[in-house]
Amino acid sequence: MKLKEIIEKLSLKVLTNLEDKEVTGVYISDMLSDVMSKAKPGNLWVTIQTHKNIVAAANLIDISAVIISQGTNVPEDTIELANRYKVVILSTDDSTFALGGKLYQEGIE
Amino acid sequence: MQNPTCKHQWEMVNIRPGYILTETCHKCQLVSSYFSFEDYPPFEEYKDGEHFWNVMDSVQSVSFDLRCKECNILVSFNELSSLMLCTGCRDDCRVNDLILEYSSQNIALYVAFGFKPVNEKKQLSPEQISVLEDYYNQIRKSSGTSIRIVSFDMIDDLDSCTGEYIMDRHLLSLTPIENK
Repeated sequence: MKLKEIIEKLSLKVLTNLEDKEVTGVYISDMLSDVMSKAKPGNLWVTIQTHKNIVAAANLIDISAVIISQGTNVPEDTIELANRYKVVILSTDDSTFALGGKLYQEGIE
Repeated sequence: MQNPTCKHQWEMVNIRPGYILTETCHKCQLVSSYFSFEDYPPFEEYKDGEHFWNVMDSVQSVSFDLRCKECNILVSFNELSSLMLCTGCRDDCRVNDLILEYSSQNIALYVAFGFKPVNEKKQLSPEQISVLEDYYNQIRKSSGTSIRIVSFDMIDDLDSCTGEYIMDRHLLSLTPIENK
């Protein structure tokens, strides 16, 4: 499934420049070292972390998009760095659990 | 790497969680870091030879190896403490020069760090760094983007470096085991 389709279906807010990508699955973790070693390229990464270093991990693994759950505010410097490295950041007011359920219902695991 | 005829296809194996501890000796101010696989690494001062070590910093992390799916060669990364995305914070840094060179090619620059003290502990070799770079480039899906990894020894002034480290700081419980 394409990223833009998921954004539309789940009403996700787009915080950065958007480049449509193929989504290969979902990885949920708030730990960067987890993402670095276990997330797969093309995964959506769901987290509540908003520090700039999420861009470093997402770019390394070539994550399709980072989704910030729980409506957590994302600092402007994180968004600036994400745009520089073409990392897409999305947000939702849903909890991580609720978002995971919705993604599962859409057939993304 | 051995078997030069193989076009290595790397996969990450032997992923082991643990902690990177940074300690300082209160007598000589030497700083030491290492990877610990213990559930409860030492956090109280302890004596080791001439040194009295105190924990300065803890980072939850993973240790891993890379194995070639074609020829089965295993490359360990016991000497890797962290990766940092260089953001070009200093104009006079040699890594920043590379950023300027690569930015038009959509290449992101990462810096690989080893453990301290740098002159006493074995550091990542250029071959290991090259394998790590190959692995992360091989798994990329986005067309037209890639990464380059360089050694931390290209940075002259580490104290003023403000790149983005991929690490999970201060997640080690400081509650003594007997109170858990």
